[in-house]
Amino acid sequence: MDRVTPRLIGRGDLLAALDRAVTKKVTIISAPAGSGKTSLLRAWAGRPGQPHRIAVVQVQRDQQDAQLFWLALLDAIRQATGTASGAEPAAATPEFNAPAMVDRVLSELADARGDITLVIDDLHEFTSAEALAQLTRLLTNLPPGVHAILSTRRDLPLRLHQLRLAGELAEIRAADLRFTERETRELLDASGIALSDAGAELLHQRTEGWAAGLRLAAISLTGHPDPERFVAEFSGSDRTVAEYLIAEMLERQPEDVKDLLLRTSLLDRVNGDLADLLTGRPGSERILLELEDANAFVVSLDPERTWFRYHHLFADMLRLELRRALPEEVPALHRRAAEWFTEHGQVVDAVRHTQAAGDWPAAARLLADHSFSLTLDGQTQTIQALVQAFPPGTDHPELALVRAGVDLVQGRLDEAAAHLAVAESYVEAAPPDRQRRLRVAIAALQLSLARRRGRWAGVAEQVKFLASPVAGQSGEDIALGSDLRAVALMNLGIVEAWSLGLEDAERHLQEGADLAREIGRPYLEVSCLAQLGFASKIRPFATARRRCQEAVALAERHGWGTEPIVAPALVTLAGVLVWTGEFDEGERWLQRTELALQEDTGPDIRLLLHLTAGILHACRGRHRQALEEFSAAERLRSELEGSHALASQVTGWLLTTQARLGMTGEARAYLAALDDERAGSGEIHNACAVICLAEGDPAAALRAVQDVLDGTAPVIGYVTVVVTYLLAGLAHRQLGDQRAANQAAERALALAEADRLVLPFAITGSAELLEAMPRHETAHAALLADILDVLHGSSPAAKDRPSPPPAEELSPTELRVLRFLPTNLSRPEIASELSVSVNTVNTHVRNIYAKLQARDRSSAVQRARELRLLSAGPAR
Amino acid sequence: MDPAPVLYAIRIHGHLGATVLSAFPALVPRHHGADTVLTGPLDRSALYGVLAEVEALGLDLVEVRQLTQHRRSPRSGDSRSP
Repeated sequence: MDRVTPRLIGRGDLLAALDRAVTKKVTIISAPAGSGKTSLLRAWAGRPGQPHRIAVVQVQRDQQDAQLFWLALLDAIRQATGTASGAEPAAATPEFNAPAMVDRVLSELADARGDITLVIDDLHEFTSAEALAQLTRLLTNLPPGVHAILSTRRDLPLRLHQLRLAGELAEIRAADLRFTERETRELLDASGIALSDAGAELLHQRTEGWAAGLRLAAISLTGHPDPERFVAEFSGSDRTVAEYLIAEMLERQPEDVKDLLLRTSLLDRVNGDLADLLTGRPGSERILLELEDANAFVVSLDPERTWFRYHHLFADMLRLELRRALPEEVPALHRRAAEWFTEHGQVVDAVRHTQAAGDWPAAARLLADHSFSLTLDGQTQTIQALVQAFPPGTDHPELALVRAGVDLVQGRLDEAAAHLAVAESYVEAAPPDRQRRLRVAIAALQLSLARRRGRWAGVAEQVKFLASPVAGQSGEDIALGSDLRAVALMNLGIVEAWSLGLEDAERHLQEGADLAREIGRPYLEVSCLAQLGFASKIRPFATARRRCQEAVALAERHGWGTEPIVAPALVTLAGVLVWTGEFDEGERWLQRTELALQEDTGPDIRLLLHLTAGILHACRGRHRQALEEFSAAERLRSELEGSHALASQVTGWLLTTQARLGMTGEARAYLAALDDERAGSGEIHNACAVICLAEGDPAAALRAVQDVLDGTAPVIGYVTVVVTYLLAGLAHRQLGDQRAANQAAERALALAEADRLVLPFAITGSAELLEAMPRHETAHAALLADILDVLHGSSPAAKDRPSPPPAEELSPTELRVLRFLPTNLSRPEIASELSVSVNTVNTHVRNIYAKLQARDRSSAVQRARELRLLSAGPAR
Repeated sequence: MDPAPVLYAIRIHGHLGATVLSAFPALVPRHHGADTVLTGPLDRSALYGVLAEVEALGLDLVEVRQLTQHRRSPRSGDSRSP
């Protein structure tokens, strides 16, 4: 917006009026087409030495997807504040969260610190009431120092009463924009037009000061041999101003210019190359540049002046004239434009022009090929509008695929299924070169649908198809198919993760994430990484934790920190933290997960949320609440069809909690009703053991876990086995076999060491078991101390005592040494454990005593317990 | 309830030439003094479409007049006896 064409006069009074208006929070310029709104804004913004930082967005004509507007605004703000280079470029998401986006914009504005003016042009093109409502929210919450100027052709239902009452709303209307007689004179003078005062007055009267009229007249008057006569004829004509003057103007143009204007009028925007194609002649770029220099009706869209747009009014007239003068050429022009846009990857324009040419089957194929990409670009509404433009009654099977995709994004699952069925029935009849792409697309959508519904039973075929390696794909196929392939990998990985194909899941999700990064699809990348975090359950917890944190960090960089796609990572991270004893931190992440849920979030994530919440309650001894959560999870589990990764976990927890609450009768009944497959899992064996212990039958408990101990019962992961050892230990203790109890406890510690698992010990109530272990006999003293600390720390007594903070924080190395203090290891032994010299250990211990204000080892340990330093997380 | 097409007369200031008239193929133009009156049957959507086009082309709208009355459907209640 910083080029001011030389023939535009500086309308000083008007600029001053705008300056005054902009001191208010919001200025609305509301005037019909051609009143000079955009010119005024450009002149105002382009004044040399003007102090404001300006972010400009022009709402696209017929913009269906408000998201694109908001992203453009975000970009414009970043450009204006100079933060464009630092931040991640704003990426679109298929599902648009408008309120979150407005929050993002507001926070960028708040960070910007200082005067920024937002300029939003062509606001009347906002087609949805919701978009206007969000804009209203933005305008009524602008941070201090931020102003907005809106330009529109008609008054809009923006509810800005508050601003009006506070005197913070300024308006500039058509009457204000009209050229005065003096300004008319100035315009004529600036264009070098010699017209008498009477002539100027006549012109002013005829046009009623309408900017577009005056400028059109000026074009025709420039270099005209008889300006007075022109004005007289114009004045005497009854024709409408625009039509008369545009016709005059066109007539005055050289043939090639006129031809170019007419033929390119059917484009929303034009560049030299495209214009050459439509006119069949070279040299269009020069013409466009000259036109822009000569008048305000051709405007360049980029600083390099390669793309141009005609003023809407001007273009509309030209289009009508084209249709009247060269009707038989119009379809061919559209077709040529469509080809150009297709070649240059501008799909929406390509489809529009193909439709305008009446080539419906070609348009359907084009749309079907690119619908995945368009959805990822956040253009779902645009797709819908394009689909609706197809004439009813002509059914293009490929459109069924597009419709299914839109339905899925917008949550209409049954319709999506119906459309997919139609698409599937078409595949056989499709030409062979399209079959593979169609199959991949259908398979990907089927998986997405299955995931949303939680029904994974019938998708084995799709999984097999997508997982098979792709051979013999053409280069174009691969290029076109990257988005599709990335989506397919993501959906495949998700389904595998949730139905127990965890290793396959990891592979596919990682591949999906890598591909997504390569093709610049951050939304898909975040989605894959978040699910990868969830699928990392068979890995060491540290890996799962890292992966989840990576996913969340990437999501946050894009402003998607509370979007549903990141929920799997949030809830898995919460789970990992809970399992390693960081209950408070885990609870915070659970709360974040709840924020990320929406109405249509599938049962899978909700189940995980309930499960993790239940586990957290159980750890804190709140067994009643735990039971509620596990019951909710169990109800959801029964909604989910197909073999399910969490099934035995959920049931196991439910039974265990029932047993702990003394509801052994119910638990037994439920147990008896389980089918053999589920009853045979390690988790259920454990639950059975808990029930037996609650019934006071430790021998039966031992029998129950035998299959797990000798490895014949399937388990989800090693965590289950830790629990098994602990239960065995408790049983042995009750039977009086202390040695066997210690052995079992030791085995549990050994397994738990790698991830520093705390949870199994907490929920099995193993405090006594651990304390009975002779310290010098265990190889895992540090872990033991940690666990005991957590177990003791979560007792009510510890909570009452407030602990004064340490004088100074301990360094990581000091913490490592500290954790050995509760053991009976001597300093040389500690040194050897840590692979350092004894002197180093001594130095650390001295520092520790000083920082904890302790005199000796036991008081240091005591103080460390109070400060929860022993349980502050993994020692690594 | 979107009523069936109704006859409208839309008065624009100025005489509309062939180019602009081609934007209103469903309407019949007639000159009335310095104005042009476009007449034709329009249902609600079509009416607002026409008005949008008037706006887009920067035309000066003088009057929109309904030439026929709304006919209420026979089932609208007044045919029942009390």
